[in-house]
Formats: sequence, C-alpha cells, structure tokens
Amino acid sequence: MSRSKALQYYILSRLLLAPIMLWFITTLVFLLLRATPGDPVDAIYGARASAAAKEELRRQLGLDLPLGLQYLNYMGDLLRLDLGTSLTSRGQTVWQIIGQYFPATVELTVFSMLVALGIGITIGTLAASRPNSPLDAGGRLFGILTYSIPAFWAGMLMQLVFAVQLGWFPLGTRFSISAIPPNGPTGLYILDSLLNGNINQFLISLHHLALPCFTLGILLSGIFERIVRVNLKQTLKADYVEAARARGIPERRILIAHALKNALIPVITILGLTFAALLGGAVLTEVTFSWPGLGNRLYEAITLRDYPTVQGVVVFFAAIVAIASIAIDILNAYVDPRIRY
Amino acid sequence: MNYPKLLSKRWQRLSQFFGLFSLCFLLVVSCASQTTTQNSTLGGASNPRVNIGTTLKVRTLDPADSYEIASGNLLYNLGDRLYTYRSGTTELTPQLATALPTISDDKLTYTIPLRQGVLFHDGTSFNAEAMAFSLNRFMENEGTPAFLLKDIVESVNATGEYELTIKLQQPFAAFPELLTFPGTAAISPQAYQIGTGQFKPDTFVGTGPYKLAQFGTDVIRLDVFEDYWGEKPQNQGVDIQLFTSSSNLFNAFRTRAIDVASGTLDSEQIKSLEKETQRQGWQEITADGNSVNYMVLNVNSEPLNRVEVRQALAAIVDRNILNQRVLQDLAEPLYSLIPDTFPSHKPVFEQYGDGNAEKAKQLLTQAGFSQANPAVVEIWYSSNSTKRSLVASTLKAIADQKMDGILQLELKSVESTTAFQNLDKGIYPTFLLDWYADYFDPDNYIQPFLDCNEGSATEGCKVGASQNHGSFYYNTEVVNLIRQQRQETDRDRRYAILGQIQDILARDVPFIPMWLDRDYAFAQKGINGVRLEPTQKLLFSSISK
Repeated sequence: MSRSKALQYYILSRLLLAPIMLWFITTLVFLLLRATPGDPVDAIYGARASAAAKEELRRQLGLDLPLGLQYLNYMGDLLRLDLGTSLTSRGQTVWQIIGQYFPATVELTVFSMLVALGIGITIGTLAASRPNSPLDAGGRLFGILTYSIPAFWAGMLMQLVFAVQLGWFPLGTRFSISAIPPNGPTGLYILDSLLNGNINQFLISLHHLALPCFTLGILLSGIFERIVRVNLKQTLKADYVEAARARGIPERRILIAHALKNALIPVITILGLTFAALLGGAVLTEVTFSWPGLGNRLYEAITLRDYPTVQGVVVFFAAIVAIASIAIDILNAYVDPRIRY
Repeated sequence: MNYPKLLSKRWQRLSQFFGLFSLCFLLVVSCASQTTTQNSTLGGASNPRVNIGTTLKVRTLDPADSYEIASGNLLYNLGDRLYTYRSGTTELTPQLATALPTISDDKLTYTIPLRQGVLFHDGTSFNAEAMAFSLNRFMENEGTPAFLLKDIVESVNATGEYELTIKLQQPFAAFPELLTFPGTAAISPQAYQIGTGQFKPDTFVGTGPYKLAQFGTDVIRLDVFEDYWGEKPQNQGVDIQLFTSSSNLFNAFRTRAIDVASGTLDSEQIKSLEKETQRQGWQEITADGNSVNYMVLNVNSEPLNRVEVRQALAAIVDRNILNQRVLQDLAEPLYSLIPDTFPSHKPVFEQYGDGNAEKAKQLLTQAGFSQANPAVVEIWYSSNSTKRSLVASTLKAIADQKMDGILQLELKSVESTTAFQNLDKGIYPTFLLDWYADYFDPDNYIQPFLDCNEGSATEGCKVGASQNHGSFYYNTEVVNLIRQQRQETDRDRRYAILGQIQDILARDVPFIPMWLDRDYAFAQKGINGVRLEPTQKLLFSSISK
C-alpha cells in the first residue's frame, strides 16, 4: 500500500473513532453527574422550598424521569446537535452559552499559546545551543519552575505586581467597563476591533488581555522550552546534521533550518494537545483573572449541577480535542516522513 | 562544534530584539490604554456613569425565575413592584400601587388601586391587566420562587383599568410585604409569555428607573429610563462589573477601577479597606444585615432528642468569641431567629449566656451525661464555606477547653448542594446554615423554620418547613401560633404572638441563632448617595458622581 493510501485509511479510521470517543465521554459525564449527590433543584433552593415545590421543579426539568429515559432523550437530542437548555438559566440554550463564553476562551488561548511558543522556543533553543553552560542550566530551571508553579498563584502574583502595585494593567474582565466593547461577527474582541477599524477598542482589548495571556503563556512556555531543548540537543548530534556540516552548510543555518525544524516536530503534537486542553477551559486562569470564558462558566455549571450545560460544554470540548488530535496526527504525518501507519 | 561563538552574535541580536519588542509592547499597551483606564476611574469625570463591582452571580433576570440576592438586587433597581420600602427604612410604601390595599372583612380579598401614566421600557402602558399578567406569570410559569405566591394566592384579577383584586387562599397579614419581593415586579405583557418554563433569563422589560442595556458575561449595563414615572436617577447609568473572586473585586476597588464595591468581600478584605478609608478618602457604607446565621438541630437524632443537650449546646455557643476570632467584629451576635431590626425581636437566647460552660455542664449532667458517658454531637458545615469551617472549629475548641469531656463535638463537612439534598432526610444531627429573607417581615424568619404540615410530638415533623430545614421539630402550639400571627392584622397582638413563638423557640432549641451578617459596601471619594437598604438592597438611583 502506498504511503498516501495508508494515510487516507489512517485518517478515515481516526474520523470513525471520533464519534465513538465522543459517545463514550458523553455517557461517562452523564453518569458521573448523576452519581454526584444533589441536583440543580437542591443547588437553587437550598432549604428554602417545600419538598412539594422541589418535586414540582424536578418534574418540570425532567429530573423525575428514569435515568435510562433521561439518557435516551439526551442522546437523541445530541444526534440532532441539540445540546439542550440550561437548567439554571432557564430559557437559555447550551449553544447560546457556548456562543457567549467561548470567544473569550479562544482569545485567551490563542494569545497565551503565542506567548508560550515565543518564550519556550527561544529559551529552549538558547539552552540547547550551549549545552552544560549556565544558560542551559537556566533553561532547565525555567522549564521546571514554570511547569510547577500553580496557575492561580502565578496569576495572583502577576496581578499584585503589574495591576495593583504598578497599575500597568487592569484587573480582570475582557474590556474596560467605561467603554463599549467591539461588536463583531467573531466575538473575539481583538479581531472584531480590527475588523471595525477601531484602534482604541483594539488597544483596550489588548490591554485587558495582556496580563492573563502573559501569565498563562509564561506558565505554558516551560513545556515547550523543555521539549525544544531536549530534542534540539539530540538533533544536533544526529547523522544528518554531521552530513550537513560535511557539505559545508553554515552552522547557524544547520541549527535554524535543519535541526530546529526537526526538533519542533514533537512541539506540534504538544502544541495541539495543549491548545485543545486550554480551549477546554483554563479554569484556574479564568477564575483568577475574572476572565469570562467557558471554563469559568463550566465551573459554575458544575457547582449548580446544571447537567445539560456541563454535558454540552464537555461534549463540545471533547469534540475540539478529538478534532485537534486528528489534525495533529495528519500534520505530523505530512511533516515527518518517518511516521508510518 | 562551538555554538556559542557561532551563535552568540545572532542570539544576542535575537534576544535584544525580543527584549526590546516585549518592552515596547508592554509600554504601548499600558500607555495607550492609560487614557481609557483613567476614563474608567474616578479621574474620568467625563464618565458620568457609575461603576459597581460585585462578585454575586446573576443566574437569570427573569422575575418569575429569579431567587438569588444578585438578581433580586438588579430587579429591585430595574423594576417596580406594587409596594416597596421607603428608602433607608422598613416602612412599607406604595410604588405601582397608589395606596395600601383595602382588605375585606374575611381578610382574603385585597383591592389595590394602581398608578396611572406609567410606561414599560418598551413603551407599553402599565395598567391592572399588565400587573395581573405579571403576578399570574410569576405563579404559572413555575419558576423557582413561584411557591411564594402560589401557596398563598387564590387568584389575581384586574377589576378595573387601574384596580387590581387579589384573593388569598387563607389570611396572611404579611401579604403586602410579600408583594415587595423583587420577582413580583411589573413586566410588559408584550415582552413575556405565560406558560410553564417560558423564561427569558437575559432580558428585562419593566417599569423601573433603569432599563437593561447589556447583559454580558462580565458586565451588566443599565441605562436611565427617560420615561420613568418617578424620580429620575442621580446618575446617567450604571455599569456592573462581575468579578469571579473577592480578591479581584478588592483589588479593583483599591486601584480605583470601580466606583463602588458591593458583594462578598471577605472579613480580611473589609478590615483592610476600613484601615485605608480615611487616608484614601473612601467611604465605608454599612447596614444592619438581615442574613441570619444559625445552627439547626435535628430533634430526632441522638443525643439531640434530649432538650437538655440542645439547651447545653445553646449555652456553650460563645457569640462574642465567634465574632472576635472568626468574624473579625464584622457581625452582630444574634439571640433570636428574628433579627433585631424588627420590633418583634426578642433576644430569647440571652438566657443561656455566651460560652456558659457551667450551665451546659449542669444541663448535660441533668440529662445523665458525664465524663465517662459524654454527649457526642456531630457539627456539620458546608465544605465550601471557610467561615463556617472556622466557626465549627471554634465551637469545638470551646467545648474541648471548657466542658471537661462531658460534651464532645465532632466536626464534619459536606458540599452544600449535597447537604441540601440530605437535610430533609434527617442525615445530619446539626448543620451550620444561613438564611436571607424573601420579604421583610418577621414571619419569614419564623414560618419557614418552625411550621409543620404533618407530624406528631413523638415522631417529629414529617412534612413541612421544619423538616425541610432538617430540624424535624414539631409543636402543635407553635404551629397554631404561626397560623395566628399570619392572620393577625393588629400589629401589637401579632408582635405578642411572635414573642410567644420566640420564647418556645428558646425553650425547645430546635435552632440556635448565632450571628447576623452586617452588609458592607465601599465607595470611592466623590461618589455620593451610596446606601444599603435595611432590606439588603443597594439602591442605584441615589448614587451620583
């Protein structure tokens, strides 16, 4: 079988596996949520309403139905891409919730990843280019520190220094309260403000985004720094690098064009998965920075036992992870000719 | 291979470029936005709108489904009800009504004259039909607070263009007070539908001084309603910024990003702001709160089925120590379930004293307990409340130090949602809880705790309010007294009945009142008219810059 044929089969099998994976995750979330004590009625009412009022509300919300029937109803809706309606914000569909909150998460994720890649690759390359030097040791230390520092703690520290003490950045939220946020098709303030040609809105958006995205970016950069450093060190010892040197190719070109390019292949995998995981809600960062993203909203929904919202958002995240991992595999297959199926 | 030599120049340049770029980026972003930031702060006199920061979450703005403090406060400012409280007082005053209701001799029919010339935010005229629609929708849409009216009201009808007639199922003296509940606000029949589950969580079309301009994920904007029938707001609009944590709210206020901080600041943050108030020119606004914090005792559980044990627990609770050590002197000791803001309040638990170990020992000995046979009581609290965790630990420390082993308290915690599922099943011997009133009347601090529909003295409450609360307390006399005070329209006689109920409460101890949360808000220098109402509401229209 030719390589392209094998790749096609591989992609097809991955695509066929994705719905099974989504079904498994959905079922698992459905069952786990029901196994958790309490329900939305308890979360909303507390001890304030009579048992009759609580039962009535459960009946309305369909929580009185047998578990199997609830599951069948939910899966039936899911097949029609209907994620249901929130139990706590009644009248609001889960798709509306996703539409409201997801752009903020995307914005934070994309910019954090850019920061993480920039810092991680730079420090990793610098450290790998000077093995066993103080720079190398510094790179290692940076990688370990950024990987191990808790996001909420780093976030609070960054806020304290840059927002409270220095006053350089605003505290939390996506946009200045005293200005009208950009209104556009994407819901991404940075992009919408540019589409509207409004530089002031763009700068305000950037100003509000800077601190959370730098915090998250720096914390994530450690992963990339370590991968780049380790892989680049190994790659620089590879035969093809020696061959390139023997052909008289300049050393800096060998490093940048040959070694670094190959050393970045694992970064693609990690990048994709980290990106997908972040889209799955950088909950701690969002909570720390009062960033109104989907992770923050999911946390609220879990607290309130809002089953449809939790299930819908998790399925949505799972779909993103599935698509991302398939995309990574395809990309890796094209980038790395050594990969076989 | 000597990479350092080969690459040092290149990396140097790269590092310099990257460093310079980062620095420029930071400077450009922070400097370019300084203008905006300044405009959003007090320096920005050009922004006449008031910025309020809060941590309270708004689940829905639909009055028929709203049952939280945050949404209640918004509805209070966005809408009008038949009755409200005169600002700064607990005096009932007509709002969309023009007078207090005329009550029939059998105390079941309330006739309410309505205000004319009132417009909804969508331009629709307000009349009795619209008010009847609003109240019927509140009941028929089966939202979370629907039971408040459904359990009491028989029918709501427009009996004239500006006359509303409400028939009750049984007499209820506090009915006008119930009509101040934010969810009973008038809403436009053009914008809403009646029908089970027909809710609009992110819109509001009422008659209040503000109309909803934006219901965002992290900001809620209210614009002044130009056609408001009453007094115009003192500001040109209100922007509410929603923070996910109290530390963000605290820091946002300190950095002057918001004009008013209102919400769940914790004790340390309040203390910290208090210290800075004078130096920074901030204003601290406090009000007697009406959030009652209490311990519920399951009278069906061992050893709490012995009244002496319950009384002993009441005796060792040291409210002053709790206030000093845990609540940082930001709360008020509470000696009855009815807060002292009501004239009918009777500090009945004072008879037990605070941390009165001698009395507690005496009571426990009387009940047959000793060091060899101690009374062991589990103190349960919500695991997501640091405050209650500390309160429980302090209670245990008091018992350990003062009770010579005759009373042993064991601390247990559970997540609040799980707790509420199990509270009425009798799983917890005790639980530390709080309660905020639905409407400002002593009945709302008594009936939901002590009433019972079905039960007996031997088996306790099987169905009813006291079972919901996890107490299972049943006392025929109390049930009758609750019914009596609900029907009694003579104020003095009603207070006397409420006094009797409180006496029995202290004698039988199904609940131990512990403390009353005070309400706090902070305002920047130059912000005027910030007031916390006795009803726990923050009035927006009086705030000016």
